[in-house]
Amino acid sequence: MAAVATGNGAFQEEEGTGGDAAAPQPHAPTSAPGARLSRLPLARVKALVKADPDVTLAGQEAIFILARAAELFVETIAKDAYCCAQQGKRKTLQRRDLDNAIEAVDEFAFLEGTLD
Amino acid sequence: MAERPEDLNLPNAVITRIIKEALPDGVSISKEARSAISRAASVFVLYATSCANNFAMKGKRKTLNASDVLSAMEEMEFQRFVTPLKEALEAYRREQKGKKEASEQKKKDKDKKTDSEEQDKSRDEDNDEDEERLEEEEQNEEEEVDN
Repeated sequence: MAAVATGNGAFQEEEGTGGDAAAPQPHAPTSAPGARLSRLPLARVKALVKADPDVTLAGQEAIFILARAAELFVETIAKDAYCCAQQGKRKTLQRRDLDNAIEAVDEFAFLEGTLD
Repeated sequence: MAERPEDLNLPNAVITRIIKEALPDGVSISKEARSAISRAASVFVLYATSCANNFAMKGKRKTLNASDVLSAMEEMEFQRFVTPLKEALEAYRREQKGKKEASEQKKKDKDKKTDSEEQDKSRDEDNDEDEERLEEEEQNEEEEVDN
């Protein structure tokens, strides 16, 4: 069979008959970051979870989501604290910016008194 | 070993990286602020765990699962986390499935390899037998000639 010319001018070879001729399809990208899914080490998160005396067992998915949630939390609180620093026209986040954010944002109320 | 829960900190390097990526370029963070955020993250995990555990107990389960944690997020008024967390969970499940299939495939390949190695071995043995038979036939011919 003659090679078929595609619109962009590049020639396409006819497909191989057997699976051997075709290049192996990459299924699950192995290089893909399990790292992208969660940067915090699951083992440390698990240690925190186990520190709670009321917790018996925690599934792997639960640990993973907690790790991811902690990352989101860090991003959120950093951004909120930055808003305070920006108002003071500073480019370095200080501890007091964090304290202000904790006071200002209701969701961070659980942190009050825990960081000292 | 009596450890205060607050001592279970998450690695500084990772925390710093997450903070830096959340903030615009050129913004830095003081050491005190960074360690305070790290501690806050630990407290967050502990608090979330406790909340999630309540949901698990309500469901009469002893094992925390993903939906317990998601329910805890809503309870803690972090609803905005729920959607990204659900997406992350989907991706995680796909990756776990992929890993499982990959290891099963590896096992299958390994089995196939040992099978084919055994076939080669038996083929070699057959060849040896043929050679012996050939030698005997040659000897017989010589004898005949002598006679």
